[in-house]
Amino acid sequence: MQKTHNRNRYALRPCTVIYIILVSFTFITWLIGKSSLTGLGFSLAVLGIALIKGFMIGDYYMGLRGINSIWRWVIILWLFIPGCLITWAFVSAG
Amino acid sequence: MKYQSQAVAKYYFIAAIALFVGQILFGLIMGLQYVMGDFLFPEIPFNVARMVHTNLLIVWLLFGFMGSAYYLVPEEAETELFSPKLALIMFWVFLAAGVLTILGYLMVPYATLADITGNSLLPTMGREFLEQPTITKIGIVVVALAFLFNIGMTALKGRKTVITLVLLIGLLGLAVFFLFSFYNPINLVKDKFYWWWVVHLWVEGVWELILGAILAFVLIKTTGVDREVIEKWLYIIIAMSLITGIIGTGHHYYWIGTPRYWQWWGSIFSAMEPIPFFMMTIFAFNMVNQRRRNHPNQAAVLWALGTSVMAFLGAGVWGFMHTLAPVNYYTHGTQITAAHGHLAFFGAYVMIVLTMISYAMPMLRGREAANSNKSQVVEMWSFWLMTVSMVFITLFLTGAGIAQVYLQRYSDTPQAFMVVQEKLATFYWMREVAGVVFLIGLITYISSFFVGGKEAEEIA
Amino acid sequence: MPSSYTIERRDYPPGDLAIWIFILAELLVFAIFFATYAFTRSNHVALFNHSQLSLNTNLALINTLALITSSYFVVRAVAAIREDKTRLCIRWLIAAVMMGFIFLVVKIIEYHHHYHNGINLRTNLFFMFYFSLTFFHFMHVILGMVILSAVAIKARQGHYSSTDFTGVETGACYWHMVDIVWLILFPLIYIMK
Ligand code: HEM
Ligand code: HEM
Ligand SMILES: [Fe+2]
Repeated sequence: MQKTHNRNRYALRPCTVIYIILVSFTFITWLIGKSSLTGLGFSLAVLGIALIKGFMIGDYYMGLRGINSIWRWVIILWLFIPGCLITWAFVSAG
Repeated sequence: MKYQSQAVAKYYFIAAIALFVGQILFGLIMGLQYVMGDFLFPEIPFNVARMVHTNLLIVWLLFGFMGSAYYLVPEEAETELFSPKLALIMFWVFLAAGVLTILGYLMVPYATLADITGNSLLPTMGREFLEQPTITKIGIVVVALAFLFNIGMTALKGRKTVITLVLLIGLLGLAVFFLFSFYNPINLVKDKFYWWWVVHLWVEGVWELILGAILAFVLIKTTGVDREVIEKWLYIIIAMSLITGIIGTGHHYYWIGTPRYWQWWGSIFSAMEPIPFFMMTIFAFNMVNQRRRNHPNQAAVLWALGTSVMAFLGAGVWGFMHTLAPVNYYTHGTQITAAHGHLAFFGAYVMIVLTMISYAMPMLRGREAANSNKSQVVEMWSFWLMTVSMVFITLFLTGAGIAQVYLQRYSDTPQAFMVVQEKLATFYWMREVAGVVFLIGLITYISSFFVGGKEAEEIA
Repeated sequence: MPSSYTIERRDYPPGDLAIWIFILAELLVFAIFFATYAFTRSNHVALFNHSQLSLNTNLALINTLALITSSYFVVRAVAAIREDKTRLCIRWLIAAVMMGFIFLVVKIIEYHHHYHNGINLRTNLFFMFYFSLTFFHFMHVILGMVILSAVAIKARQGHYSSTDFTGVETGACYWHMVDIVWLILFPLIYIMK
């Protein structure tokens, strides 16, 4: 298991920590919904949280973090582009 | 040819090509009627010619699919066909039913044909593509059942491969959806609704499985690429076809009286339908690039690559063009539709059948693997003649369609249908010229079977 | 942290490349769906905001947690097989599928609730999107569960090991995709107004 050390220098898969973060973010989102905090600011905040959650799933759970090629960006781009479009639509709706 | 019983495929292929010639002749007749309204009137009215043109197309494609299956399944299953005799009997039954039906269209008025075939007992006639008398439809079902039984038993007793499985599911689906042609409700909305279950779910659903399976088979044979790789592609392609194609039916439900959500479903899902066709193109070129050997039958490889490109253009690009509801609002039922119908049918299904014939026919006619160089050169000429002329037919119809949409629907001062048609005559003349070139291509194709027969095989 | 949680450098994503082509195509469909929803909403803000009120965010919360948890379980399953712990891997997979079941049941309760109140696809534009999007995703959860079950069965037959676990990662990636889609869908449809 010599190699393990080497690998650890690159990203770990701290999946349990990530899990806790994901759950907390989910509760925050839910709370925002529950407390009827509406309006553009909250909408975009909630969207941002969702995009970060998606990013964590892609990077850590799917394991894209360690990829050297364009594939590293697949999920990130997928989150980014619809994220922008949704933002645009919500901003234009006011 | 590895198995004796594969020989039955030859009958099916020959019948297919013969009917193909008939289909094109009637296309040309109609093309002329577009610009010379009384051509061949009253002997062959436009509506009859149209029926013959489209029905011959469907029937010869079915011959082609069945022939392909009779060739492909024994080879994949590594066993003789369950019953070559049944396959032959069904061949003659199907041919007789097909020819009689076409003769019926041509000899007696359609209403009389409906009368003498007892349409009133179970009315199914009178709808585009499904004009066949009810007894012909029943005949088709019988032939399809016997065929599925034969092929299914062959697959069961031999090696089971992904290609056979996909092909069988496709053929089974073809038969199942055809059953909706017997459902002919009084309510026009329902009638149209289920009519598309035959028409759309065929070409944008189960036929895609048949297309994928045959393409995969020919690619395995001609490139020598690992079966596992090809199977994986096949899985993804068919999964994508079904996910997008089934709900994509909604692109026909925009204006027929169905609930409004179909405009959304149809637009979104059918907009994704080009994806599997695009994957097929990538797949075919990838496999040919990774080939492990140069197969002597380069004509078949050309057809296979051509299919993948033309299917993407005809179905993917020309389909996408008018599939979003706001666009279709203007283009519905115009020459744009005809342009797409021609390129898609040709690029996907005509070409895949010709691919399979190109691959299998040399063996069926007793050669080792391929035709002589001379014959292949003629065949490749026919490939280019037919493909390029079909592209031109499509472009002329698209031009006509754009003009039609503008003059008749989009402009501030819309003009009447026939007024607009008069103005499009030039487009229709050019379409007819391209149609003649297509026929020349087809004759060239047939002649490739008769040249260079004595010469040695091409060794690539 | 055991070695199986590390991510090594490589050029291709984990799992079979074929599943990634599929994942990309699927993500594209969802992306277009999301964008269409957002832009349609911008023309009917009042209608969408009002209709959103009748959704049950508590149930959506449960479902989000179910999917996140099951994704976590799947990560553990991959880690287990990389240490040659086949039985552990199977157990994590089964746990993940169970979470999928919870998701389905809760979603059906929600649908039943709407049905009971006479709300359906045709009620209005918002509910058209709500039902279409969630049902399309629902079907993906089912497909994902089928894939995970198939992986579990193959694991049981001994097809995977610490040197050959591509199959497990393939199923895992598909499942994470189903999860990611929901993570966007949840705030977009239930919360953002
Ligand atoms: C393999 C080649 C061909 C295929 C696959 C094919 C296919 C079809 C199909 C599917 C339709 C029905 C279209 C619709 O419902 O919108 C059709 C109609 C028609 N085809 Fe073809 N066709 C072929 C060749 C030709 C040729 C060479 C010509 C003549 C130049 C031609 C002329 C026509 C005409 C005039 C119609 C009637 C369009 C109308 O109703 O306005 N076709 N064909
Ligand atoms: C090989 C596959 C395909 C074939 C053979 C095919 C053939 C046809 C034919 C013959 C028609 C005319 C039907 C009629 O009204 O008589 C048609 C209509 C249509 N097709 Fe396709 N098609 C294919 C794939 C596609 C794809 C992938 C799309 C979308 C991306 C598409 C979009 C449409 C639309 C929107 C119409 C309705 C046109 C109208 O409103 O008049 N098709 N297709
Ligand atoms: Fe269609």
